[in-house]
Amino acid sequence: MGLRIFISYACCCLLINALLAQSQQPAAPAVASLQLSVTHVVGTQPLVRKTVTYINPSGEPFTITRFRYFLSNFSLENVNGERVVLPVSYFLVDDGLDMSKIIRLDSVPAGRYKSLQFLIGVDSIRNMSGIQSGALAVESGMFWTWNSGYIMAQIEGHSPVINTPMQEFLFHAGGYKSKDQVLKYVSLPFPQTLTIAGNKQPRVHLTADVEKWFLPDTVSFKNTVVIMAPGVKARQLANNYQHMFQITGIIYE
Amino acid sequence: MNKGIYIIIIFCGWLLLVQAGTKKKAIGGPDPYLLQLPANFPKPLYDFSRNPLTKQGVALGRFMFYDYRLSKDSTVSCGFCHQQFAAFGHFDHALAHGVAGQQGTRSVPVLFNMIWQKAFMWDGGVNHLEVQPLTPLTDRNEMAMDLKELLEKMQADRDYRSKFKAAFGSEEITSERMFKAFTQFIATMISAGSRYDSVMLKLPGAVFTEEEKAGYAIFQEKCAGCHKEPLFTDLTYRSNGLPYLPALNDVGRMKITGNTDDNLRFKVPSLRNILKSAPYMHDGRFFDIYQVFDFYDHGVQATVTTDPLVKKGIPLSDREKRQLYFFLNTLTDYTFINNQGLSEILID
Repeated sequence: MGLRIFISYACCCLLINALLAQSQQPAAPAVASLQLSVTHVVGTQPLVRKTVTYINPSGEPFTITRFRYFLSNFSLENVNGERVVLPVSYFLVDDGLDMSKIIRLDSVPAGRYKSLQFLIGVDSIRNMSGIQSGALAVESGMFWTWNSGYIMAQIEGHSPVINTPMQEFLFHAGGYKSKDQVLKYVSLPFPQTLTIAGNKQPRVHLTADVEKWFLPDTVSFKNTVVIMAPGVKARQLANNYQHMFQITGIIYE
Repeated sequence: MNKGIYIIIIFCGWLLLVQAGTKKKAIGGPDPYLLQLPANFPKPLYDFSRNPLTKQGVALGRFMFYDYRLSKDSTVSCGFCHQQFAAFGHFDHALAHGVAGQQGTRSVPVLFNMIWQKAFMWDGGVNHLEVQPLTPLTDRNEMAMDLKELLEKMQADRDYRSKFKAAFGSEEITSERMFKAFTQFIATMISAGSRYDSVMLKLPGAVFTEEEKAGYAIFQEKCAGCHKEPLFTDLTYRSNGLPYLPALNDVGRMKITGNTDDNLRFKVPSLRNILKSAPYMHDGRFFDIYQVFDFYDHGVQATVTTDPLVKKGIPLSDREKRQLYFFLNTLTDYTFINNQGLSEILID
């Protein structure tokens, strides 16, 4: 009988301990997920790969075969002007992959926000700390093998003004080392305050405009056809494309 | 009352079982691989915490290293160019070559002591040991493989699935796992068992002959400025005054940094196993170590980026060359080039 009492006492202690341990965990703050939905355009037209011909600001006609870029390091600025850094995550947006144009950001604290910040590309740490997984897995081809580092953004296509056999242009912008870095952090204001609450699933609509790649520092196919290394040309592209994003609306579902 | 106690006892027993179950799972994983680090070497630069070595991981890396199916036309494996008897350089080949008769513009670098290196390739363009195999795998002059295709090909192979499961716990074959396994095998390529090392560690009976001793003194006076012990390289990029070859037009490190000061600079290669790893220089232009001695003695063609240490050449008499040769011979590590754990696996 004594043994039974002892065992039941021990078990009760264990149970109470387990319960206490559970209750000691910090109460999770109210968080929700936030969806970003990106639409690709060229000026005022929707982006349609291969079949639609566009005219760049230099008056050169061109088609687009590939349009891809990394987005990472998201944060939000609340109405009090405080920066809320979201868990580190990386996304490879590919115009050819509709799924990739919907980005889900998790663990967004409830609150009211006035702007969104992110990096177009991959931060320097992930460029130099060895093999990565998920969106950063190297088989995407968005990684330079001969001079290690991610291609932050890329656009490829054709133009009749190009005097090479394939008449193809290949713009790959990359570089993470100080001199040649193309790490572009952008901050986009919301058209109205974004409210994150447990029961709401807001979806933020963004556009990315390919036309912005060509201006304000004019990029013309007459001068530039292939960019495939860190350097002046890649920096020029990045300085242009950092302006390509715009938030066009917020929808609460 | 009694019933309640029994329920509690059963519950406790169940808890114990659950605990035992989780412990067993941990024991069932891959077996740790204990890497013997040389006593006379510094701390490795590679961070093993992200990729702890396991017997199964190393074995998988070794299998892939010798698997010719990892190339576009299944003719070229890593081990095809990196031959163990040549200290994992390419015996008798000046320039690297790959699938379909393609040829590159540089010689195959030797593979050993890679966990002490901070950057890879002759120009240091690759910034991490784990991403290094990506270059030869995908370069059209080497294995010319599309990585996505390769991963699908491997995933479809039952043998590879079971090897990945043994090394990483599941049959999923990802590029991350693949490169980590490569790295695990490469990490085991440690060369620190030469006669030079035995002498330095004062092992019983290990002494230099008179000629070797004289050669060591010449080495310390004339070579050690760049070929620093114990790795026999200081891992810097230098231009040694090797005449520029217009046909290859290789600017060296300048291609990576875009800095004109880096023109014609290449990584200082290790002198370990040097007599086993001819031909020499980044373009393999010298097939005999005496050609290298002669080059430093009277062949240096100085440019603005040529290293001050060799700008005026390094005078070497015939006697000194001979003594230096005998010293370099003590850097051949037979325990390494005969290491059964690194040798070729026949893939059927």
